[in-house]
Amino acid sequence: MKSSTLQNGLVISAVGLSRIYQRGREQVRALNEVTFDVHRGEYVAVVGPSGAGKSTLLNLIGCMDAPTSGKLELLGKPVAALTEQERTHFRREQIGFVFQHFGLLPALTVAENVMLPAFFAKRRSEQRTRELLEKVGLGHRASHRPHELSGGEMQRAAIARALINNPALLLADEPTGNLDQATGDSIITLFEQLNRDGLTIVVVTHNPTLARTACRQVELSDGRLVTPCGLQNNHTRCHSDET
Amino acid sequence: MNWVQLSVKEWQRRPLRTGITSAGVAIAVAALFSLVAFQRGYRAGVHQELDRLGAHILVVPKGCPFDAASIALHGANWPCYLKQSYLDEVRSVHGVATAAPCFMSAVYDEKGNEFVYVGVETNILSLKRGWKIAGAFPRANGELLIGSEAARRNHWRIGEPIQLPGLPDQRGKVAGIIAPTQGADDTFIYLGLADAQQRFKHPNELTHVLVRLSDPNQLDHAVTQLRGCDAGLAMNIVPLAHVYHTIQSLVNSTHLLLGCIAVVALLVAGSGVSNTILMAVTERTREIGVLRAIGASRGHVFRLIWMETIQVCISGAIVGMGLAFLASRGVEAWIRSKLPFAPTGTLIQWDWLIAAACLGCALVLGSVAGFLPAWRAAGVSPMTAIRASEGRA
Repeated sequence: MKSSTLQNGLVISAVGLSRIYQRGREQVRALNEVTFDVHRGEYVAVVGPSGAGKSTLLNLIGCMDAPTSGKLELLGKPVAALTEQERTHFRREQIGFVFQHFGLLPALTVAENVMLPAFFAKRRSEQRTRELLEKVGLGHRASHRPHELSGGEMQRAAIARALINNPALLLADEPTGNLDQATGDSIITLFEQLNRDGLTIVVVTHNPTLARTACRQVELSDGRLVTPCGLQNNHTRCHSDET
Repeated sequence: MNWVQLSVKEWQRRPLRTGITSAGVAIAVAALFSLVAFQRGYRAGVHQELDRLGAHILVVPKGCPFDAASIALHGANWPCYLKQSYLDEVRSVHGVATAAPCFMSAVYDEKGNEFVYVGVETNILSLKRGWKIAGAFPRANGELLIGSEAARRNHWRIGEPIQLPGLPDQRGKVAGIIAPTQGADDTFIYLGLADAQQRFKHPNELTHVLVRLSDPNQLDHAVTQLRGCDAGLAMNIVPLAHVYHTIQSLVNSTHLLLGCIAVVALLVAGSGVSNTILMAVTERTREIGVLRAIGASRGHVFRLIWMETIQVCISGAIVGMGLAFLASRGVEAWIRSKLPFAPTGTLIQWDWLIAAACLGCALVLGSVAGFLPAWRAAGVSPMTAIRASEGRA
């Protein structure tokens, strides 16, 4: 039987999500009772000052960490019930990651970097790699090494890599953080285009321009959700199934 | 893209470090390869050399039996002699099929080249069954049977009268030439026993007697009888099988020591590899975190790092074996100069089995050395990828 989350078109359903870290004798509450949903096709920006809990939230919804308390469902699957192996499999098949530092392997070509997630999934991906590189404007850079690319091109390659396994959710951690204004704007445009194509995107950012392009902003402060869910919706830009 | 390509590309990133790490393995494997190839070559060489002698027992004057065996095998001057009358006693021992008397002497020409003359009777042919003679065996005084190498060096031909090198004013005639035997016989000059005794002024004396038994299983019995005969106290009875085993056990003791050194070298190389990979894993923590984040399982990461380690060890082993192969002639010459007894054949004999065994060692070394770094890498959390971003932000 399908869970209610999946039936409702929810990609992320977080209820009372908390994450407490033990630092020596001190307990650090990185995330405190956070409740929010992300629907299929939504483009959500998670904003807030440094130390607000944005990355902790990203770790949790990226299946890289488990909540201390609360309930988190991704595509209808309760994350807490997944084993380490299942979480890895879920991450590989359903989630694409884009990092601030791009995370490209310097020893591999752009095409090989893009193919990596498919390689781990034992899937042939030459054709899709070519298509994705064309899509992000790097068709002519396939055989280049990362150090031969500009910052913007590296981030585009990282985005192509995140999409290789056709994920249901794209998570981006400060994707414009290491880019200049103009290059960052081109990445923002690419995200908008991907969202228009129906991809669900959650992006953690300090960049107000990037946050404004999202259909909804979720603001965190001291591990708590400041903005009530959906308050800052920009419905004209949102392509969720709900709209 | 496959796992091998992936790990090779990673190592190509740091060629100097890879090279130095592989070099450690290469040196250790080269030592191991040379040692095993030497052991094989030496054993085969000694066995072959004693076998070429065609005898089961060597009867020599009193003294060190191994020196005597070495002189009989390689040719040199003997420090003392046997009386020819002892020969009859040797021949009378039950089980002795052939007792071939020999008189050996080494002389030098004006250029310092050594020439070994060996006086023999026709019954030597029943021992040297592998000999192929072009021409005839010496029947009369002055007739010579020349080893192939000696004939080649001196451009001697069958029927040619020659001046005997190292023996001024003495002449002879080449009656026959022995086809190459790959042994010391190739450099010897054979002549009739009486002729040799006369030319070297040792009438009725022998340097050694080669004894072949009708049944080699009766060796111990024949040796006991020979030692017990009247002339037994004046002769040294040397069973060649015992010489072989004694030389082997002496060499094996040295090999054991060298083998221990090679194993220690392998262990040191392995720990060097392990340490280098551990360092690389630490440096690549963020990359590994990214791999985990984009879907690599713990098993994938373990496999990647493990394969990298194994590749370093295998490539080091291949380079090491190549170096050992290229240096084998030089090493052989050096070993030959240090060994008190070295057979004439190739001392370092490698084969594919030795190469496969060395590769196997490298594989085991890589597997063990790579386990800890691979385990540590597999434990890197995917969150590291995000933390690294935070650190930069």
